[in-house]
Amino acid sequence: MKITNSRYSVLILLVGLFINTNSIAQENDVSNYRMLFNFNTTKQHDNSRLLEVSFIARNKKDRKDKIPVYDAEIKFFNILNEDEVLLGASKTSQEGIARITLPENQQYLTDDDGYINFKAYFEGSDAMDEEEDEISVKNLFLELNLEEIDSVKTVTVEAFVLDSLGVKTAVEEADIIISVGGMLSNMNIEEGTIEAGEFEYEFPIGIPGDVNGDLTVNAIIEDHDEFGNVIQKKSVNWGVFDREFVEESNKLWSEVAPIWMYVVLTILLVGVWSNYIYTIRNLFKIKKEGKKLDLETEN
Amino acid sequence: MANKKSKKDSSNRRNFLKLGLMSSVTAVAGVSLVSALSQEEEKEPSGEKVRLLTPDGKIVEVNAESINKYPEAHVTSAESRKGIPNRKFVMVIDLAKCKNARNCVESCQKAHNLDYHEEFMKVQLIQDNEEASPYWFPKPCFHCDEPPCVTVCPTGATFKRDDNIVLVDNDRCIGCKFCITSCPYSARQFNWGHKDKFDNTDQPYSPETSVPAAEGTVMKCDFCPDLLRQGKLPHCAKSCPMGVIYFGDKNEDIVTNGEETVRFSELIKDRGGYRHLEHLGTKPNVYYLPAVNRQFPLERGFDVDEEIIERYKDVPYVQELKKQNKI
Amino acid sequence: MDLNIRKRELVKEFSPMMVRSSVTLKLWIGLLVAIIALGLVAFVIQVLNGHEATGMRDNVVWGIYIINFIFFVCLSYSGAFIAGILHFFNTPWKNSVLRIVEIITVLSIIVGPIFILLCIGRLDRLHYLFIYPRIQSPITWDIIAIMTDLIGCFIYLYLTFIPDFAILRDNSEDIPNWRKKLYKWLAIGYKDTPSQREKLHKITRTMSAMIIAMAIIAYSVLAWIFSLTVQPGWNSSIFAPYFIVAGLYSGVGVIIIAMFLIRKYLKLDHYIRKIHFVGAGVILLVISLLFGYFTFSEYFSRWFSHKVHDINLLNTLFNRYFWLFIIANYVGVLVPIAILFFKKFRTINSITFAAVIAVLGLWLNRYLIVVPTLETPYLPIQDTRPEFIQYSATWIEWSLSFAGIAAFILFFILIMRLVPIIPMSGIIDIEREQQRKTRIFSKKRK
Repeated sequence: MKITNSRYSVLILLVGLFINTNSIAQENDVSNYRMLFNFNTTKQHDNSRLLEVSFIARNKKDRKDKIPVYDAEIKFFNILNEDEVLLGASKTSQEGIARITLPENQQYLTDDDGYINFKAYFEGSDAMDEEEDEISVKNLFLELNLEEIDSVKTVTVEAFVLDSLGVKTAVEEADIIISVGGMLSNMNIEEGTIEAGEFEYEFPIGIPGDVNGDLTVNAIIEDHDEFGNVIQKKSVNWGVFDREFVEESNKLWSEVAPIWMYVVLTILLVGVWSNYIYTIRNLFKIKKEGKKLDLETEN
Repeated sequence: MANKKSKKDSSNRRNFLKLGLMSSVTAVAGVSLVSALSQEEEKEPSGEKVRLLTPDGKIVEVNAESINKYPEAHVTSAESRKGIPNRKFVMVIDLAKCKNARNCVESCQKAHNLDYHEEFMKVQLIQDNEEASPYWFPKPCFHCDEPPCVTVCPTGATFKRDDNIVLVDNDRCIGCKFCITSCPYSARQFNWGHKDKFDNTDQPYSPETSVPAAEGTVMKCDFCPDLLRQGKLPHCAKSCPMGVIYFGDKNEDIVTNGEETVRFSELIKDRGGYRHLEHLGTKPNVYYLPAVNRQFPLERGFDVDEEIIERYKDVPYVQELKKQNKI
Repeated sequence: MDLNIRKRELVKEFSPMMVRSSVTLKLWIGLLVAIIALGLVAFVIQVLNGHEATGMRDNVVWGIYIINFIFFVCLSYSGAFIAGILHFFNTPWKNSVLRIVEIITVLSIIVGPIFILLCIGRLDRLHYLFIYPRIQSPITWDIIAIMTDLIGCFIYLYLTFIPDFAILRDNSEDIPNWRKKLYKWLAIGYKDTPSQREKLHKITRTMSAMIIAMAIIAYSVLAWIFSLTVQPGWNSSIFAPYFIVAGLYSGVGVIIIAMFLIRKYLKLDHYIRKIHFVGAGVILLVISLLFGYFTFSEYFSRWFSHKVHDINLLNTLFNRYFWLFIIANYVGVLVPIAILFFKKFRTINSITFAAVIAVLGLWLNRYLIVVPTLETPYLPIQDTRPEFIQYSATWIEWSLSFAGIAAFILFFILIMRLVPIIPMSGIIDIEREQQRKTRIFSKKRK
C-alpha cells in the first residue's frame, strides 16, 4: 500500500512538473487568443461622424498579452431591417484600429425610433472567425455657446436631435464633460449632466490659455448608449494670460554676455597687448641701432 | 531463515528503487525549475519588435516605431537653438506614486538608443536623514532657468532655448567636460569611447533627438522636443504605469501624465510641489510632489535586478533591510 | 676691468657647459627621450581608443591631466611672479637664479596646456574655442590668460637673453658655424651701447611689472575655473589667493631643486652658493606657513560649520584619501617648516629635501582638490561599476604625466646648451656696479 501511494504521488509530481506554464515565453498559436472586436462611433465637432473599430487579440491566460490585428479589412454598414448599405471600408493599423469618417451631409437609413444602426464586419479567414459588431445611435447635435452673460463667462450647451421633419427634440439626459484644450491633452474642468437639452456652466477664472489669451473649450459626451461619442469645440479669447515675456539677454547663460564682461576683457587685453607691442617696437629700434653701428664700423 | 532473507532482500530492492525514483524525480524537478527560471529571465530585446496578428491568423514581428523618428522637417543644429514658440515646458514628478517600475528609464533608453548603463532618466533611492522615509527619486535633467552648465560652456555647445529646454549640440561640443563638473544634479554624461551605434547614419543628427550620439561629447535628457513638436508626451511620461510624471506648458498652466490633465499651478499649490536643491539658485523646471500618502510600500520597488539593488547599498534603509535579510 | 677681456673670460668659462656633452648627459637625455616616447605611445593609444583608456568616468571627469595642468600652470605663474619681483630687487645674488626662474616659467607654461589638450574629448574641434568663444565661460578666460602669459613670458625671457647672445656672438671661439649664425641672428644687433642698454632696461622693467600683474590675474582665472561652480569643496571664496600661495609654494620648491641639480651637474658652486639656498629656503618657509594657514582655513571652516555636503566631502577625504591627506597637508607642510625653521638644519641638502617634500605635497594637494569633490556630488552616486564610483588613474595617464615631466627636464637641458644658465651680462653688471661703488668709496676716502 505504501509503495503504491508513493508511486502515485511520484507520478502526480512528475506530471505536475512537466506542465510548466511559464516555460513557454511566446505564444504563436492563435487559438490561445480571444478576439476583441470593439466598435464605436464619434460625432465630431464639424458634424462629421467617425466610425472606429478596435480589433485586438488577447491571450486567454495572460490578460496583459495583447496583440493588435494588422491589415484586416473592416467593412462598415448602415443597416435597416434587411437593407445593408456599405458606408466604407478600412484596414486596421499597427495598433489594430480601423476607422472611416463620414461627412456631415451623409444620408443614413434610420429606423422608426430615430436610431441609425451601424454594423462593422470582418470577413474572417481560414484561421480566424468572422467578427461583427452593431451599434445604434441617434444623430445628436451638440451646440456650444460661449458668451459673457452679465460679465460672467458662461458655457452653454444645447443638445438636440432632429426628427424626420427637421423638428428639434431636446435630449432628456446625457452626461457631458467640459474641457479646455492644452498642447498635449485636454483638461477637464467640469463634469455635468444635460437636462432637458441644456447645460450651463460658469467658466472658471484664471485659466491662461495660449499666449494671446485664446483657448479652446470642448464639450464631450462620452460613450452614451443612445448617442455614442459626441464632440463639440469652440475657440474663445477668455484666457487670462498675463505672464510677461522677459527677453533674457546679457546673462551668464545667454548667448550675449553681460556688457561689463566685454568692457573688462577689452581693457585688460588692450593694456597687455599694447605693452607687448611697445616692447617689440623697442626691440626693433635696438636692432636698427645695431645695424647702423655695423655699417659705421664697416665704413 | 531463507524466507526472511529474501523478504529483506526484496524490501531492500524496493527501498533502492524508491530512492532512485525519488532522486530522479528531484533531478527532473530541479532541471525543469531551472529552465523555467532561466526562460523567465531571458529578456526579449524589448521594443525592437512588435508582435502583430495578420488576418491569416499568423503572428508576425515587425520593427517597432519607438526609436526616435523625425517629424517631417529635420531640425538642424542651428534651428534647434530656437525653441518651440510660446512654450515654457515644465515637468512635475509625483514621488508619492513612484514604485521604481523603471519604465521611464527603459523607454528613454530605447528611444535614444542608449546602452544598459547609460541613463538619461535615473531613478535614485533617496533617504534625506536617518528618520526620514526613503523614496524613489526619478531624476531627469532639470532644464534649469539659470543653468550653471550653459554658463561654463566655452564654445556654446549647450544652450538654453526660449521654451525652457536646455540642449547639447554634438556638432559643437569639444568634450572639455566643464559642464559635467558644474551640474549640481549630475544630470550629464560623457561618451568616453567609440561605439558602433555612433556610425549609424539612418537619420541625420539633430540636438532635438540626441541620436546618434558622438564620441567625446556630452549627452543628457532633452525633454524629447521631437515628440513635443508632434504634440506627444516625452517617452518617460508616456510610459510610466503609475502616472508619476506630468509634463506640460507653464504658459498655458496645464500638465498631463497621459491620463490625468490638471492645472500646473494648482497641482503645485495643493500638493506642496518643490524643486530640488532650490538654494543653489539654478531654478530648475522639474518640480517634485512630496512622497506623502504613498500608494505603495517602498519594498515593491526592490523587485528589480540584483545589480540595480546593489546601487542603493549606501542608503541606510537598504542596509537595514539587508541586515534583516529581507533583500 | 676691461669689459672685453672680462667678457671673453666669462665666455671661456661658460662655453664648455654649453658645448661639451659628457656620458652622463647623454644617458640622461636617452632616458628622458625614452620616457617621452612611451608617453607618445600612450597618447596614440588614447587617441585611438578614446578616453575610455583613461581612468576618468562619468563622475570624476577630471583626473590626472587636469591636476598636472594646474600644477604646471601654477608653477609657471609663480615663476613669472618671482622673476618679476626679483627684477626690482637690486641684490647681487639674484643674478644666479634669475634665469633658472624664467626658464621654469616659460617651460611649464608650454608643458601645462598640453595636459589640458589631453583631457579634451574632441581635439579635432579645438578651433571652435576660437571661432565660437563664449566669454562668460571661465575656460575662455583661462585660454586668453594662458596665451597672453605664454607670449609675455616668452618675450620677457628673450629680453634677458639678448645681452648674453651679444656677448656670445662677439667673444666665442671654436664654436660651430651654425651657432655663430644663431647667436648673431638672435642678438638682433645689440652692441651694448648706452642707448641700447637703456632701452633694453626700460622695456625689461615695464615687462616685469606687467608680468607680476598678469601672473596674479592668470592665477585668479585658473582658480575661478573651480571656485565659480557650486560644487562642495570648490565653491570657496579664498580659492584665488589660495592658488597664488600654493603656486608659489611649488614654484620656490622647484627652483630650489633646479638650483641644486644645476649646481651639482654643472659644477657652479661658485655662482650658486649656500646663501641662495638659505634665501630661497626662508622664502619657502614663509610660503609654507602661509600655505598651511590657507589650507587649514579651508578645511577648518568646512568642518566647523558642518554642512551636509561639506561633511560628506570631508568623509571622503578622511576615509578614502586618509594617507594622501596626511602626506599632502601635514607632511607636505610641517616637514619643510621643521627643516627650514631652525638655522642649524639649513644645509643645502636639507633645504633641497624640504623642497622635494613641498613639491610632492603640493601635487597631492592638487589631487585632493580636484578628485574628492567630483566623487561626492550633491546627489549620491548610486552605481555599481567601481570605476564610476572611485577614480584610479591608468598607466596611460601616468606615463603621459611622466612624459610631461621628462619633456620639461629635456627642454631645460636643451636651453642650457643654448645659453649659459648664469646670465653673463648680469655678472658683468654686478661687477661694474661693485667697481663703481669702490670708486665712490675710495673717492670719499680721498
